[in-house]
Amino acid sequence: MATVRPIRSIDPYAEQFWAYTLNKELRFQKCTDCGKFRWPPGPTCDQCLSDAFEWATVTGKGKVLSWTTFRRSYFKEYPVPHTVIVLELDEGPLFVSYPVDIDVANLREGMVLSVRWTDGEDKYGAYNLPVFGPSPA
Amino acid sequence: MEEVFDRKRLAPLKDTVAIVGVGETDYGADYRGADGKAARKGEARYDSYTLASRALKRALDDAGLKKDDIDGLCTGPTLSSERACELWGMNPRWSGSGDAAQCIIEATMAINCGLCHTVALVYGNAQRSMDTAYGGARVTGGGITSYFYYAPWGMTSQGALYALFFQRHKLLYGTTEEQLGAIAVAFRKHACLNPKAVMYGRPITIDDYMNAKYVAEPLRLFDYCLINDGGVAIIVRRADMAKDLKQTPIMVSGIGWSEENVDATQLRPRLKDFYHTAHHGVAAQVYPMAGVTPKNVDVFATYDSFSVHLLASLEGFGFCQEGEGGAFVQNGRIEIGGELPCNTSGGMLSESYMQSWNHQPELVRQLRGGLGARQVQGAEVAQYVHDVAGKCKSIIYTKGG
Repeated sequence: MATVRPIRSIDPYAEQFWAYTLNKELRFQKCTDCGKFRWPPGPTCDQCLSDAFEWATVTGKGKVLSWTTFRRSYFKEYPVPHTVIVLELDEGPLFVSYPVDIDVANLREGMVLSVRWTDGEDKYGAYNLPVFGPSPA
Repeated sequence: MEEVFDRKRLAPLKDTVAIVGVGETDYGADYRGADGKAARKGEARYDSYTLASRALKRALDDAGLKKDDIDGLCTGPTLSSERACELWGMNPRWSGSGDAAQCIIEATMAINCGLCHTVALVYGNAQRSMDTAYGGARVTGGGITSYFYYAPWGMTSQGALYALFFQRHKLLYGTTEEQLGAIAVAFRKHACLNPKAVMYGRPITIDDYMNAKYVAEPLRLFDYCLINDGGVAIIVRRADMAKDLKQTPIMVSGIGWSEENVDATQLRPRLKDFYHTAHHGVAAQVYPMAGVTPKNVDVFATYDSFSVHLLASLEGFGFCQEGEGGAFVQNGRIEIGGELPCNTSGGMLSESYMQSWNHQPELVRQLRGGLGARQVQGAEVAQYVHDVAGKCKSIIYTKGG
């Protein structure tokens, strides 16, 4: 059984995002009219209101913008301390995740991290969770 | 910045409406309860309509008006306009809703349109009794908002979003946690001059602040607002009808509104801009309309669900340079008696978490005068900044003649 995590917010667009994670693919909607990458998933491009899009793969690399370490527990699935990061992905979107294989003390502003995968499950089913660790040298 | 609002239409609204009455519940007494201890969350001692009704009665008494003098109604969270009207026996000719600043702007517009002349703005929130959650599993689901969308990664709560904001500020500008602590200490000092405040009689020092537990690091307990029950009401009236009432009318001299929502769930406006684009948009309206600059502001209040809000608004509205908020708030500058007294009631950190509503009565009373040790001497211009997740508004109040 996969690791049970706090529940995802699911709609038809998010469902597709998570379906790709079963193959460890990180894909975002990209507007086929203006090219803007969209996150979170949704029905329309906020830049041009087009509803035409493709699920484009991304490099899976991003720069660290900020982080916070939970000292008070909010989720039984995440014992404290638990650190969350925000990255700016190469393709534009900012992405909230958590760091792996790196001590919080070693996080730096602008540091490049790369996507890794870890398993997850909730009432909607199994999926893989994109998390981020040091980029291969 | 290109001006997309109509300065010529906005300018004549200056001083066309006045705040003639304010009222609120007994925050501290209600919080402490009969045994002197804080009521437990979920104890359900109050409901929102009880609190709102009490505040409304007090605001009307403060103004010397009767409920039948009211012909417009704005309701804030958590009230339903329909139920509120029924409860108070009102058939308004106009109604609105929103946060306090939004309701003041809406009321200003409605009165100037001739739809009504005297508007009651009423808020009631029994959030402690109801055990309202602002983070964790109970707020998960039901839409897309950054404070629960990232629950699968263990990310939740409004506080953690402001922790990310402050961490980014630290990284870019070298702001320190001790610098941030000056905000919570100052607001608590103000609350200790305010017998109605929940934290009246409970001063803290910077050492207390630094020794407090982190909740979402780098934010500590005292960076977080209270969770308490309360109600607030504000009576807004056409200025020419405000002259011969019980109180000195306090004029609405400037209003401004600008939002920054693009990529909000991604946290882009929060982390890449600190919401400054919205601040600048509001500043371009509110200061010229009121005919003042930040240098003229005698008393200032900002939405403060977290201490961090003050850094953002001081920098965004030009009280200091971007990145210098941490240094600005030191050495008593934001305390009563300092250069720019901020959140003089104790704010939402230490007076009462009324989600912007408690700040308005405080600014009105500062301009009326007579607050004793809490009084900002010679206060003539007061500014409120509402800076909540990119939905920014501001009101400038001045003393009427």
